[in-house]
Amino acid sequence: MAPNIGPRGAPVREPVNVRAIAIQAGAVTAALCAVGLVVLTTLGNLTARGIPIGFDFLSGRAGFTISESLISYSPNDSNLWAILAGVGNTVAASLLVIVISTVTGTLLGIARLSTNPLVSALARVWVETARNTPLLLLLLFIYTIWWSLPADSANQLVPGVYASMRGLAVPWFDAAWSPGTAVLLVALVIALLAVAATAATIVGRRTGRRPPYLRLAAGGAAIIVMLAFLATGGTLDRPRQVGTSLQGGATLTPETATLLLGLVFYTTGFIAEIVRSGINAVPRGQWEAARALGLSSGKILRLIILPQMMRVIVPPMTSQYINVVKNSTLALAIGYSDLMVVMGTVINKTSRAVEGTAIIIAAYLLINLTLSAMMNLYNRRVMIRER
Amino acid sequence: MNAVALADPVPDARAAPVAKRRSWLKLLFGTPLNALLTIIFGMAIARMSVWLVDWAIINAAFFPAEPASCQAAQGACWSFVIAKHSQILFGIYPPEERWRPALVCLLLIGLLIYSVRPASWGPRLFGLWVAAIVAVFVLMLGGVPGLTFVPTALWGGLPITLILTVVAIGAAFPLAIMLALARRSKLPAVSALSVLFIETTRALPLLSILFIASIMLPLLLPEALLPDKFFRALLALLLFAAAYMAEVVRGGLQALPKGQSEAAEALGLSYWQRQRLIILPQAITIVIPALTNTIIVMIKNTSLVLVVGLFDLVSSGKAALADPSWSSPAAETYLFIAAIYFILCFGFGRFADSLERRRKVSR
Repeated sequence: MAPNIGPRGAPVREPVNVRAIAIQAGAVTAALCAVGLVVLTTLGNLTARGIPIGFDFLSGRAGFTISESLISYSPNDSNLWAILAGVGNTVAASLLVIVISTVTGTLLGIARLSTNPLVSALARVWVETARNTPLLLLLLFIYTIWWSLPADSANQLVPGVYASMRGLAVPWFDAAWSPGTAVLLVALVIALLAVAATAATIVGRRTGRRPPYLRLAAGGAAIIVMLAFLATGGTLDRPRQVGTSLQGGATLTPETATLLLGLVFYTTGFIAEIVRSGINAVPRGQWEAARALGLSSGKILRLIILPQMMRVIVPPMTSQYINVVKNSTLALAIGYSDLMVVMGTVINKTSRAVEGTAIIIAAYLLINLTLSAMMNLYNRRVMIRER
Repeated sequence: MNAVALADPVPDARAAPVAKRRSWLKLLFGTPLNALLTIIFGMAIARMSVWLVDWAIINAAFFPAEPASCQAAQGACWSFVIAKHSQILFGIYPPEERWRPALVCLLLIGLLIYSVRPASWGPRLFGLWVAAIVAVFVLMLGGVPGLTFVPTALWGGLPITLILTVVAIGAAFPLAIMLALARRSKLPAVSALSVLFIETTRALPLLSILFIASIMLPLLLPEALLPDKFFRALLALLLFAAAYMAEVVRGGLQALPKGQSEAAEALGLSYWQRQRLIILPQAITIVIPALTNTIIVMIKNTSLVLVVGLFDLVSSGKAALADPSWSSPAAETYLFIAAIYFILCFGFGRFADSLERRRKVSR
């Protein structure tokens, strides 16, 4: 706070507000007392039950199985590794759902505004179902569908995608390159992007306008990876029905498939509403004025409409993405091993409720704060720049 | 984006600015793209509805509400829902006393519908709600002459969903207002404490808060003070709702022009007088649609109490499915429960929309 300026410009000391200090001291003391009381009671209760305190249990043997894990895990690994496997599962499921639902939600939001009454009515049914029924119920409902499917044969939903009691089989890339090639490729891509970013900054500083080198480099990198994939003999492996079993492709367990399908369906409904409000937020006059200036449709969309839409869309999208991470905890109801499920098991086995709770809070805070920091960074780019 | 039939952003320059009433035929088949979409989606809808009517009505089993009728049927087994509706709606509440939770549900839904009318807002409504909550707990718990005692462990179904929603939101509202005021306070320590609480609660999944409430409270509190499962879940939902509603109320506070507060201060009103008489009435009116949305979210969120072992609508449905004499028609049961949630939430959503529209008109 700037010091008050007196009539002659000499700084005048702000009067000490005794009441404000008293209120704040009271609030802080009350908060500290509440925390202290809770800590003391907890310590007392823990010693009475003979439960030690500390994070040493993290290095102990986990001893339980995790049905599916992104990072390799076995019951002989430590509790810490089990928790990290849980974090990996939560992050992987959330990211996948965020990416897919952003695409499907945008399409659904546009469909909701379609002039075709059939299309907009169908989109509306989807949106209202997602908004007015609990996600938990949706997940339980989808989960029951797997158990009504035949166990020995698989239904082909769309070409290449099979559903059976064992889960959902989808086509997957079968890379034939060696680990060395993969490392080399990753290093190449990172180097390419870094060079492009530096070059763009240097040119940007010199000319005052940042050229889109980074976007070009990303496109180039994608093409290089794709060519390398094909050159080394990589193929898209489609699941095939061989007798009563499926071969090839990647199989998602019913739990994973249910969680992904349910979360995508639910989140898509919410993102569609955000996109719709974003489209509606740009007045028609913007289209008309841009057309009067002689801009082409593509340019109008890219230069005039989308930037204004993004301003409206990005903040609610951020909270929607964080909701996805939070909603992924409902995996508990269907048995996908996410962070909460793993933590529940660890707490049950070690009875370290206090430390476990601290880890749960810290992990979700870390994931969600990282996500919102990234989105805020993006938001700063699309925000209105005021003088 | 142009590939999809968006509302044409550039109207014909010569068209008179009169809202044209386009015929259905023109809407459905007006342009080649629309005709294509209509044919594709029309065929999909037709196929789906034929299958759905077959499954849900023609081949479904309704009466008699016995397991045998389900085994004979090809389609949906509604006789299970018909036979078990009382257990799904009221959980494990003693069957001969089920008129009590039924009355509670009617009372709460009736009062919710009554409160939805802006004409009934006022101090009297507040009194009515306090009386209703007392009546709800007396009816559910019993223990007074004429009503046998039923512990909360036996409560279940729709009353749990409604009571948790209504009581959590009602109790969270004053807390939310205090948190919002504290967050906007000029005193840094007060606002920091409020920010800490609100942001931590909002960053955590509700499931983890419920989980923490159910495993941590027994450690945090002496045995004698420990609330039972129901009140633990209620406490968790209350704190969760308070953090979200505080942000909604803060939105309303920020939407008010600064002049309102300054003018009130110039009149010599104290801080609390300013908030009570000038600021809060205006701020809360602005955010009522947003608050209604929070209520919808909370109605849906109460389904999560399943994880702490309470028998709300979803878990009493699951419990009913465990009956081995039936072939556990899970999809039908979940559809029935989903329909109840949909009616509750959709009704509230329409109310929020009508409020929004009225507000736009009155400006």
